[in-house]
Amino acid sequence: MSEIKDPVQSFDPATAKLGEEQKGRSNHWEVRTQEQPYAFLPEQPIKDQNRYGQLIDLVELTGLDANRPMFINDNPEVGSNPNRNKQHGFFFTADNCIGCHACEAACSEKNENPAHIAFRSVGYVEGGSYPDYKRMNISMACNHCDDPVCLKGCPTRAYTKHAEYGAVLQDPETCFGCGYCTWVCPYNAPQLDPIKGQVSKCNMCVDRLEVGLKPSCVSACIGNALDFGVIENTPENREQCKTSIPGFPDPEITHPNIRFQQTKTMPMEMSRTDSMPIKYHRDEKGSYKPVVDQKQGKARFWNLSRLNSRENPLVLFTLFAQAAFGLFSIPFVAALFGIAPFVEFMSSDMFFVLCVVSVVFTAFGLLMSVTHLGKPMRFYRGFNNLRHSPMAREGFGLSMLAAGGGLTALFALPLNQTINQWLSDWFDFDLTVLSSSLNLQNYILGAGLFALISGIGGIYYMCRCYRIKARPFWDHWQTGTSFVGNSLSLGATFAGAIIVSTILVQGADVTQALVVLLSCFSIGLAIEAIGLIGHNHDMNRAEHEGAASHYVQCTTFGKTYVMRNWLLGLNLIASLGLLTLASEGFSTFWILAAWIALALVNIFTAAIGRALFYILVIPTTMPGAFFWKNKGFEDHARDIGLANNPATGVAPLHH
Amino acid sequence: MLFGRKNRKPIVIPAKQVKEWKYTTCNYCSTGCVIEIGVDEDKKIVTSRGHAGADVNRGKLCIKGLLEHDLFNSPGRGTEPLIRKKHYEAFEKTTWDTALDTSAEKIKEIQAKYGRDAFAVVSTGQLLTEEFYTLGKLVRGCIGTNNYDGNTTLCMASAVSGYKRSFGSDGPPGCYDDFEHTHCFMAFGSNLPEQHPVIYWRLKEALEKRKFPLIVVDPRVTMLAQFADIHLPITPGTDCVLINAMMHVIINEGLQDQDYIDANTQGFDEIKALVQDYDPKSAQHVCGIDEDTIRNVARIYANAPSAMSIWTMGINQSTHGSDGVCNINNLNLITGNIGKPGGTSLSITGQCNAMGTREWSSCSGLPGYRALEKPEHREEIANFWGIDSEFFPEKRGLTQTDIFPAIEAGLIKGLWLVATNPLTSMPNQARIRKAFENLEFLVVQDVYEDVETNKYSHVYFPASVWAEKEGCHTNTERRVNLISNVIPPYANSKPDFWIFNEMAKRFENGKKIKFPEQPEEAFNEMKHLSKGAGRTLDISGMSYEKIIAARGIQWPYREGDEGLKGEARLYGDGKFQTPNGKANLIPVKFFNNNEQPCKEYPFWLNSGRVVEHFHTRTRTGKIGNCNKFSPTPYMEMNPDAANDLGIAHQSYVRLTSRRGDAVVMVQLTQRVPRNMVFIPFHFHDCVNRLTLGLLDPYSRQPAFKQCSVRIEQVDQEEAARTNVESRTY
Repeated sequence: MSEIKDPVQSFDPATAKLGEEQKGRSNHWEVRTQEQPYAFLPEQPIKDQNRYGQLIDLVELTGLDANRPMFINDNPEVGSNPNRNKQHGFFFTADNCIGCHACEAACSEKNENPAHIAFRSVGYVEGGSYPDYKRMNISMACNHCDDPVCLKGCPTRAYTKHAEYGAVLQDPETCFGCGYCTWVCPYNAPQLDPIKGQVSKCNMCVDRLEVGLKPSCVSACIGNALDFGVIENTPENREQCKTSIPGFPDPEITHPNIRFQQTKTMPMEMSRTDSMPIKYHRDEKGSYKPVVDQKQGKARFWNLSRLNSRENPLVLFTLFAQAAFGLFSIPFVAALFGIAPFVEFMSSDMFFVLCVVSVVFTAFGLLMSVTHLGKPMRFYRGFNNLRHSPMAREGFGLSMLAAGGGLTALFALPLNQTINQWLSDWFDFDLTVLSSSLNLQNYILGAGLFALISGIGGIYYMCRCYRIKARPFWDHWQTGTSFVGNSLSLGATFAGAIIVSTILVQGADVTQALVVLLSCFSIGLAIEAIGLIGHNHDMNRAEHEGAASHYVQCTTFGKTYVMRNWLLGLNLIASLGLLTLASEGFSTFWILAAWIALALVNIFTAAIGRALFYILVIPTTMPGAFFWKNKGFEDHARDIGLANNPATGVAPLHH
Repeated sequence: MLFGRKNRKPIVIPAKQVKEWKYTTCNYCSTGCVIEIGVDEDKKIVTSRGHAGADVNRGKLCIKGLLEHDLFNSPGRGTEPLIRKKHYEAFEKTTWDTALDTSAEKIKEIQAKYGRDAFAVVSTGQLLTEEFYTLGKLVRGCIGTNNYDGNTTLCMASAVSGYKRSFGSDGPPGCYDDFEHTHCFMAFGSNLPEQHPVIYWRLKEALEKRKFPLIVVDPRVTMLAQFADIHLPITPGTDCVLINAMMHVIINEGLQDQDYIDANTQGFDEIKALVQDYDPKSAQHVCGIDEDTIRNVARIYANAPSAMSIWTMGINQSTHGSDGVCNINNLNLITGNIGKPGGTSLSITGQCNAMGTREWSSCSGLPGYRALEKPEHREEIANFWGIDSEFFPEKRGLTQTDIFPAIEAGLIKGLWLVATNPLTSMPNQARIRKAFENLEFLVVQDVYEDVETNKYSHVYFPASVWAEKEGCHTNTERRVNLISNVIPPYANSKPDFWIFNEMAKRFENGKKIKFPEQPEEAFNEMKHLSKGAGRTLDISGMSYEKIIAARGIQWPYREGDEGLKGEARLYGDGKFQTPNGKANLIPVKFFNNNEQPCKEYPFWLNSGRVVEHFHTRTRTGKIGNCNKFSPTPYMEMNPDAANDLGIAHQSYVRLTSRRGDAVVMVQLTQRVPRNMVFIPFHFHDCVNRLTLGLLDPYSRQPAFKQCSVRIEQVDQEEAARTNVESRTY
């Protein structure tokens, strides 16, 4: 291995040593006949800490036993690599990459990946003007980060960061295919397979590492661009050890274990060949920052049909969950504050109905979120990572909202005269016998408070789910105003439908209830509108992927976006007018009729807004190539049917 | 485990369970990488790996080689022989006997009716050398047609012709080891990173150890051009002017190696006289490279202790490809850069066994670089094969590119195509299609029955591929290497070797000539024929066993040679294969007969390879992990030019030329100049509907790379539909 310094000298077949390749190495991988020095991990001095202050020796960090097997494919042998407990990482010499796909092919061959899945991908940025043209290819896989956002985000605990090599490995058999890790990863490392319905990713070739070989992509590299070793070590013949190159996302997000050399001067502006409206501009310090690339000009379109996407279940999930939360919380809190019509409503038979509707809405929302999973039958794994995952907490909070709402309904049941009447009429069954000894009012209060707190938690973590650094379009307070605003406006709508009709049937005055509910409705609209104004303000001034999303929002969906904003604004003005009229005792009939119209408009705008929210987001992914990892081409291949040929490498979507 | 995890998740990584590694050489390009194929207990192929102990690739493989073991069970492979009376009828399955009998009868019938040369055979650079040798025996010795060629006319004919004219014989004089020794590396129309990635890696390894100037001549900013110290973005088709101007500088400044010239060459005075017409001051306006750069490059090249040139299709595929090769040879001869470490004229070959067909297939003559024109060669081979030397023609017949016009003229009525796909690969597709319709009988022998040319065949022979057979390849640096038989032939396909042997049995001379059953016996015949004093192409010291032990041996490697290494370089002693042993310096006068961009067709059309595909995509188009990187035809176009025409990135356009039209997807990039577009040649119904392909007067190789086109907008939905329809197999 390292004693062979000059590879040219090793090629006299008469002197080549055969049969000793595996000597002193564990059995995790068969070393090739006469394996070459480039394939072996070098012996170099190792630093104590990486540049972020993290210990490189992970046994020191964790206190685990240094000689533990990894049980790769259940193999109990301990790897022979002396540095197996050190954090390793890739080293990419961007000056050298020729974009030949050998790394990708070697990876796909070893991991038996079909054409539409790749753990490593090569894209490129280019700039300059003929013949002073420069193209920089970027080969990227998983960076086995110090702060693995995938691991933290995954609700099922499919991810493990191992003390061995610091490898972040994912178990596809645990995964339920929610794809949340693919949202949070800034480098597009986890791969969601729409056919298998689960995620898989780079495994760092830990089997090769155990015997002291570099990963197979590195060993296959033709341009001498990819390398691998203990992190912070600069390979032989390399002079830089940087944390970023043009096109690479901000390393502060995850502290990725990848280092770069890029010494050749690149043009001021590097553009992407894929459809993402992003290019990279050199700042005064010489580093490249993303800016919007107005690839589609400035013309505005409707593109209403494209609002329909495979994220539709999530549009329904979030809207129904928010509506359910508002529906339950608004009257419950109003009653807690002692507002008379709501206190009275809570003791009416219809309170039970309201609770049930809230539970049905939440359950429907959760069902929608489950249908979005690649493996819906594994839905129960969604709460396995409450410790780290906002998605697990969101799901848990909303489930508890449903449970709390259900309990509230259950405790309200014995007090419900209509149902008791039915039970005794039809089944000759008296519920009050079971519950007469219980203090049901307190139970209802307790269960309701539980549902309220759970709901607040659920909605809070729903917001946290989308506050993803790798998705700057979402990582804005507008996500919160949108969710809270919709909870209020949609909740007030459905609560109003039940409560106002109840009061009308009872023949009482609805003015006070109407004022409260219309206030909630208007506040909801106002909050949503404020968020949108702020979002528009910030995205227009930003120069990142969020700004690019906003550019698409203002062009590809420009007319739709403007229509939604006008409708929302007019709706707010109208609802405030209605509120004034209601408080002055204007005709209930006309107020209700107008509110129904406004509520329908609000449902429409909320649905459009949420659909845009999902469709528009542009992650901080690596630049793609002209066909591979080009979202524009993938969409085109699906549209025209080219994707039906598996050799195209674009998975048809079955949703 | 970090982040508070106690229970480990299982780590499952595909394990290949290899029982045995089998030795083979890659069947795509001519780099000659050694691949070990891993088979499991049931003899099923489960994986492959580059052979780390092989000198050529030292364990590295390109994308195609890494995924090559996936091709055996591709869709579209031929399972049974097929037959039909007319090309527009449906095929019927038949037996090998019927298919062979029918073909032999038709060949004889056509030859009896129209003359022996009315049946033509066009083969390939993809077969194994023993198969080429056997095909040569069959065609030259049994069928007896003189219209026999290989598709190497589309790729390496100009290099062959140029080598023969300069050095008196074919055979690249250099090797990859020259990168380790050279002090100046110049590439003409060769994009190693895309076309020969592993050769590029050898160059890169040499560069990382010791920096030397890298000069790249290419009208397109390829990765190699971008990495070059000096990139010369030349006007297409003017390389002769550039080289003449360089020689003008070298000779007029006295930088040439006069001792070498005097001792080993002839014709220097003519060269010296000619280059006086190519002053850099005037040459710059023709070739598009300014005079300072020409002088600079000429001085760097001439002053380097050793300098080498490589070239590929940028030189070969032009109307003066052969002249271009001679001129590169001139440059290296006058600077004394032939046959010394780091100093060479190295053509980078295209197909895996283009060298094998050049050496042994008898396409352009007789086996072992023998010429039909030499009576002693005819005699020698006829005696060895046991037939009458009168059976051989006295001079070479038509090349592939002249066979099609002969079909048009009605001189050729029947054709046998072996592992080649002219309907996609030949220029001016419309003309080729018509020629096919005129044939009375066409046999297509190919691994894939969906190969486009099969649309016009009457009989289809399903052939075995790569490691379903056994035999040798010769690579770019004259290294003979072995392919072991790893798995049995697919379905009822047969090795080409078997098909030729069986066909021979159906001809009179086939009963006189011995057609051995085993490839190694054919190899032994070739060894015997390679012996002879002063011969460069000498493989007499080799055997299959020695080839595996050495991981390939370069020729010459003579009987009795010590060790396992052949000679790394030719002509190191200054002795050439010309009658007087001196190399010819051949003055190359520039003429311009290319179709030039004009008002009506304002763009240069350039074509070339992409790394993930091989040739007409019959193999790589079906391997998803290759094909996905360019699943549909596309065109590189300059964004400024596109802006003028209102053409958007990733939209479809229609190109028209004086020959026809093609629809492609546009990739806007500054990699190409404003007046040029580049289209990969791999796709059917694409670039070769447009190309002109004027022929080189010596090599008859077509000028694929120089013609002109117009670009028009097209209805996007219809174009998309056409695109999908053209991509279905």
